Amino acid sequence: MKSLPPFAPKLLAAAVALALPVGAAWADIKIGFNVPSTGFAAADGKSALDGAKLAVAEANAKGGIAGEKLELVVYDDQASPKEAVPAVTKMIEKDKVVVGVSGSYSGSTRAAASIFQKAQVPYVVAYAIHPDITLAGDYMFRVSAMGEVQGRGGAKLVQNLGKKNVVVITVKNDFGQSLAAGFKEGASELSLKIINEYEYGMADRQFGPLVSKVKADNPEVIYASGYYFNAGPLVSQLRAAGVTVPIIGQEGYDSEKFVDIAGPASEGTLITTSLDRDSDSTVTQTFLANFRKATGVGADMVAASSYTATSVAIEGLRKTGGKGGEALKNALASGTYDTPIGKLAFNDLHEVQKNLQVQIVKDKAFHRHSVISDAVLLAPPSKPK
Amino acid sequence: MLFIELIAQGLVQGSIYALIALGLTLVYGLLRILHVAHAALFTLGAYVGVLVCNASGSLAVAFVCAAVVAGIAGVLMYRLAYQPLLSQPPFVALIASIGLYIAAEEAFRIVFGAQGLSFTQPSLQGQVTLGGLQFKQAELMVMIGTVAIIAVLAWLQSRTRVGVACQATVSDPQMAESFGISLRQVRDINFFIGSALAGFAGVWVALLNNLVEPTMGSVPSYKALAIIVLGGLGSVPGTLAAALVLGVVEAFGTIYLGQLLDRNAIAFAFLIAVLMVRPQGLFARR
Repeated sequence: MKSLPPFAPKLLAAAVALALPVGAAWADIKIGFNVPSTGFAAADGKSALDGAKLAVAEANAKGGIAGEKLELVVYDDQASPKEAVPAVTKMIEKDKVVVGVSGSYSGSTRAAASIFQKAQVPYVVAYAIHPDITLAGDYMFRVSAMGEVQGRGGAKLVQNLGKKNVVVITVKNDFGQSLAAGFKEGASELSLKIINEYEYGMADRQFGPLVSKVKADNPEVIYASGYYFNAGPLVSQLRAAGVTVPIIGQEGYDSEKFVDIAGPASEGTLITTSLDRDSDSTVTQTFLANFRKATGVGADMVAASSYTATSVAIEGLRKTGGKGGEALKNALASGTYDTPIGKLAFNDLHEVQKNLQVQIVKDKAFHRHSVISDAVLLAPPSKPK
Repeated sequence: MLFIELIAQGLVQGSIYALIALGLTLVYGLLRILHVAHAALFTLGAYVGVLVCNASGSLAVAFVCAAVVAGIAGVLMYRLAYQPLLSQPPFVALIASIGLYIAAEEAFRIVFGAQGLSFTQPSLQGQVTLGGLQFKQAELMVMIGTVAIIAVLAWLQSRTRVGVACQATVSDPQMAESFGISLRQVRDINFFIGSALAGFAGVWVALLNNLVEPTMGSVPSYKALAIIVLGGLGSVPGTLAAALVLGVVEAFGTIYLGQLLDRNAIAFAFLIAVLMVRPQGLFARR
């Protein structure tokens, strides 16, 4: 640096400043994507990003939209509201994205939702399941079933298994709490008996005391929410302590890592999720194959949902010829979509109604167990009157 | 029965806390630095353990490698980060330590990936029944391993020249130096042993959870600080006792207070309660 003239840094800054808008002009249609690339949720963030990238790459391979290429503008939100707010503000104001996609958790997505709504930029949410997100306004769309709906489905699964006495173990965050709320609602409708309830923190991996207590409770079935990094150790510790009753998880378990971590103890674990790996839909099977080809690992629910959310956004853009705003909002709302996680259509609150997939771990992989298709029980909420 | 099981589970957790907090207390006793980055060595040990075990198939080799690598990394941390700051006020080293921890966490994520690693053939996962209680083999081994290691360390400290030199340096560094003890060597040895213990603990936790992640040190990074405060800063027996007591308190707390307080909050509520009654810690030397 010493040999450079003193004004060199300023010159450099000016060059960078000039280069940026030029770059922006070349990049054609921009899709904003907030995702936890670092921090505690970075593992899900990677799956989500891989899914979204695949959707964009496939669209570009087919020639993009109206001759223009699509670009994914990625911001790390660390799954935290305070990181999400500046990230999506920048996305909207500086990058001028025409549509946003959330590849993140409920906390950050809730914070981002109101910003997208205010800017009237449509926001398609992949797997954040808190009810408040779509309540932020009519520019919000969600491709996965809400926590409450999945929770009710979980209760239905307990009934389908012919069991009654349940212990509920809940991860202490938006995800776990909305699942627990739905489960309890379903449980009282289906007259299940919740014999005990426990909560644990996101950072917990050691469940020794809880396992001892659950064992003493002697339930017929365990409904435990969590992510694969909690659930893997939890399931393995429950089995090591001699607890043999069925364990029901949800889409947070839905990762090959769950089976790696819990090992043989994972066999027989049931989950409610949106990805049916044994589906005979060609869209699902093509996605699973392409994802493995692109990344070398199998797709999980987060990847499939993020791929779906991004594809739905692209589908909408195709209809508007790349325009955003109200035109895109209307296009998204009126469309029907054939996706790896099922055929989707948005209701008046822009939530989807679909069947809940029950998967079971068999021979070290998730396979289809059953499908819950009770239209009344699984009805998503509609617009508050 | 549940009562005894909870105590047993508390002791398992307490043993791990003890292994991590011991290194921290050694460093504090010697340099008066709150060594937050110690938890990064715990994570490093866990990664080395899983990688070596998966490559070599031997858990024993994995333990040795993890302890040695973490130990060397600890000495490097001291030489590169703390030594140049020793003349500064203690908070400077504390800030450096926090920075070091965050950098290490991100480095683990970049190098080893965010998804975490698992043993391909996890050992010690079988069940053992002991006096009517069921344990994972790894849980029993953690307790036995911790007791054995601490016994060896206690013997080294009181029966060998190096151990006595360390004790002398802790109680009066200037006097020790005037008797020909090399402060530099003593500090290196302390950092090596303390960090090796953290690496060792990392492999145990990897075995218990079959999961090693970049963020696995974040809770131990501050909880170990609580433990050494509880144990009366710098006191080795105090730290051991505090770690075990905290393990048991947490075990009961998660079950009976879990709806009110997070597990980690319980540890700090307990710390505050104890410090209100005994500001010098549970087992202070002075």
